[in-house]
Formats: sequence, C-alpha cells, structure tokens
Amino acid sequence: MQLDFSIILNWLPQFGSALLVTLETTVCSLLLGLLLSIPLSLCKISNVKPLQWFAALYTSIFRGVPLLVQVFMMYFGIPLVLPVKFTAFQAGTLVFAMNSAAYISESMRGGIKAIDRGQYEAAMALGVHYPSMMKDIILPQAIKSVLPSLVNEFISLLKNTTLIASIGLVDILRVGQLIQSRTYRAFEPFFAISVFYYVLVMGLSFLGKLLERWVNKSDRR
Amino acid sequence: MIDVKGLFKDFGALHVLRGVNLHVDEGEIISIIGPSGSGKSTLLRSINLLEKPTFGEIWVEDKLITPPDPYLHFDVIRASNTYRSMLAAGGKDEEIIREIKKKNLLKEKSRLLKKEGAQYYSLLKKITAEHFEDTYSVRRRVGMVFQHFNLFPHKTVMENMIYAPIKVNKLEKEQAIEKAKGLLQSVGMLEKQDVYPDTLSGGQKQRVAIARTLAMDPDIVLFDEPTSALDPEMVKEVLDVIQRLAGTGMTMLLVTHEMGFARKVSDRICFLDEGVLIEDAPPDVFFSTPKSDRAKAFLDKVL
Repeated sequence: MQLDFSIILNWLPQFGSALLVTLETTVCSLLLGLLLSIPLSLCKISNVKPLQWFAALYTSIFRGVPLLVQVFMMYFGIPLVLPVKFTAFQAGTLVFAMNSAAYISESMRGGIKAIDRGQYEAAMALGVHYPSMMKDIILPQAIKSVLPSLVNEFISLLKNTTLIASIGLVDILRVGQLIQSRTYRAFEPFFAISVFYYVLVMGLSFLGKLLERWVNKSDRR
Repeated sequence: MIDVKGLFKDFGALHVLRGVNLHVDEGEIISIIGPSGSGKSTLLRSINLLEKPTFGEIWVEDKLITPPDPYLHFDVIRASNTYRSMLAAGGKDEEIIREIKKKNLLKEKSRLLKKEGAQYYSLLKKITAEHFEDTYSVRRRVGMVFQHFNLFPHKTVMENMIYAPIKVNKLEKEQAIEKAKGLLQSVGMLEKQDVYPDTLSGGQKQRVAIARTLAMDPDIVLFDEPTSALDPEMVKEVLDVIQRLAGTGMTMLLVTHEMGFARKVSDRICFLDEGVLIEDAPPDVFFSTPKSDRAKAFLDKVL
C-alpha cells in the first residue's frame, strides 16, 4: 500500500484546533488537580482521623476505578442522579483533575513527611501559625521535592486526555479517527498523532528539567 | 521571669523530667548541664512549649503558659516533693509515678471537689485562666536557637530574617529589612544577606539563626546545644556572638557541653540528672565544690 502523508497536511487546521483542546484539557486538569491535591495531602498528614479516612477513601476510589469508567460516570452517569450538567470538556477536566489530585497528593504526602522536624520547630518557635507555616515553609519545600513526579503526572495526564475523544470532544485522537473513517487510511493519521504526542511529551520533559533547575537554585552548586 | 513548678514530662513509659522546679530572674544567664539523656533539652523545649509538659506549671513573666488546671496548681509542688523523697528512699519509677498520679493527687482532687464543690473549682479555673497565655504569643516572646540551626533552606538569609517579623510581628517590610541589616551586621553576616543557607558554613548558619531569633525582639532566648553540631574551628565564632548577647542583659537559658563557656558567662549552673534538678549554684561554687556525687562524677568525666 502506498503511504500518502499529504492527507495530514489537508487536515492540519483540524489538528491545530484539536491540539488546543488537548493542551487546554491537560493544563486545566493539572492546575485544578494540583490545587485539589494540597488540601488532600494535608488531610493525609492530619491528626484528625476522619480527615485521614476521607483522603484514603478518595485516593482508593480514583486509583481503583479505571479512568475511562470514571469519565463515563462523570459525563453520562452523574447528571442522571444529581442536578448537574457537564459539557464533555468540563466532565473530562474534572475527572482528570480529581484523578491527578489523588496521585499528586500521594507523592506530596511523601514530600511533606520527608521535611526535617526542625523546619516545623523553627517556624513554631518563631510564633508562626499553622496555616502560614504550611504555606510558606513546609509546602514550598515539599513541592520542590515532588517536582519530578509532578512532571511525570503532567505527562501521563497529557496522554490520558485521549480518553475525552470517547465522550465526543474533538482532540487529536478524534481527528485521527475522523480521517480514518473518511479516507480509510489508518497508518498516516495515527503515525502523525504518535509524533504529535511524542514531541509534546519530550517538550514537557525538557520544560520540567528547566523548572527543576530553577527551583533548585537555593541548593549548593 | 521564668518559673517552672513541678515539671514532669513522660515520653510513653520514659520519665524524662521528674518534678523540676526552676526560677529565673530577668537578665539572668542560666546554663543547664548534665549527662546526655538527663532531660536538659526537654526542659528547655518545654519553656516555649515545643514539648507539652505531662504535668506541672510554667510561668513566663507572670503568665501561665501551661494549660490551666487549678488542682495541679495546688498540688504539683507537693507531689514533686513526695516524689523526690520516694526517689531518695530508692523507690521504683513506676511505683512512684503511680503513687503520685493515683493516690496523692487524684485523692486530693476528689477531696477538694467534695469539700469545696464545683463552684470553687470553676472560680479557681477562672483565676488561673486570667493568667493564661496562648502558645503563639509565648513563642513570640521566647526565642529559640537550635542545635541544627533550622534555617529555611528555600529562603535567602535576608528572607529568613524578615519572614517571622513581617508575618507574626506585623512589621513593615522596610522596617524589618532595616532591623535585619543591623542584626546581621552585629553577627558579622551582613555581606551574606542575599545567599541561600546551603552555601554557608555551620558557624555562619548558626550566627544567622541567632540573628533571626533576635529579629523577633524576644524577652528570653533559649539555646539548645548551639555549638554541638559545629566543627571545632567554628565553635568560637558562635560562642563570641552568644557572649556579646549575654553582655546586653538578655535573659538566657543555655543547654551546653562547653563547660568553660558555661562557667564564664553564666550567673547560675543548673545540673540535671535523670530528669531531676540536682544542683543549682553559681558557677564558681558548682565547678569548685559540687555537692552531689553525681555532679562530681560528671565533672570528673568532662573537665
């Protein structure tokens, strides 16, 4: 069979807007997930048992149920029993965010636990209250140590967003499927999509490295 | 200025402090010495409540900083005296603790309750609560210097200096910086104000940590083995800073292994052994004619 990559060029505008959808979903989910992971990790290290239980239950649910099932649940299931309505983008972003929150909070908890007792004691001895101590002293150091796993989470999030094609959002994968159904060609579109993702992930890893170097500027060189 | 009354601290089954009474006047410099594991650090850390006492009272400038319990207030000194006499008679730890907690104190409590009634109890509670000060404001007045410096590694020296003054003492940033510069100057660290702590030597870190503590305008400074984590050649630069601070009339409590230094700067030496304050004497008296065998044995080892 003759390969014809000119199809890709014909569909470039669609790929362009689909790329935006993918990036938008990824970035929104990551930011929201990061935001959610902070209270969640604080629950995990808290001395209050019910908070610990809640956080453990939350994490186990999002770890235990397949992501695609979660997406279907949020988009098709939840609106039937609760008075809410999601667009495909909202449902997808919410699920991905809640999912990453579960994973990020787990490594964040490790990061917080790894911080020397002396940092807490120094802050307490200076009369700093708990919320400020966490926000200004403990979390910045914890986030620094979880940054590598945060970059990993970003990458897997980027790849997981292909699942939103299944609830009808036109992301890069969906464009490929459209090409396939219109032209009966599968190799070229999916090859192009693979390249797209590969380049995106490589770019992200590189940015992650830069970011890591930037936040580690306080370390001895 | 500081009044420790019948202080007990247990870590599980381990009785670290066993009825310590200590009085410190304003401007006094007290060195707490003793074998390792004698409870020196725990005593010091109780004074800014980094350790919560199991039992007993601590007063700082006429404010009660331990949770108010009127019955403890009445009985704890007596309890600790009972305890010490039992200890002297060779009693076992568990027995004695049980004795104090169950028989002596709880009986005393129930007797008081029966006799004076709940009204009396609540009145007493109100009176002690009036003197009570919350943990955060205690810590603002009682500064602490740690063995391992505990500078914030993600903040520069200057950021370390101004963080708490701005956050806790509500200083304007310019004001805080101005003050920090003066303090850094006085510990010889002004030229390092923009570097991160990881680039400093141990001695430099400890000098910054002392300046950071002073930036909060404390009335009392606690030093918890400030030179124990330092290389020998850096001990002197830190001791010099502490000695200069001693000259300003600051009230200081110092846990240290530097006997020569303790003798030089202290007004009193408190010798702690197995959680009991055995001797409390001026340095010349303590170092030349220690009363107890324990102190003699300790001094023989370290001098």
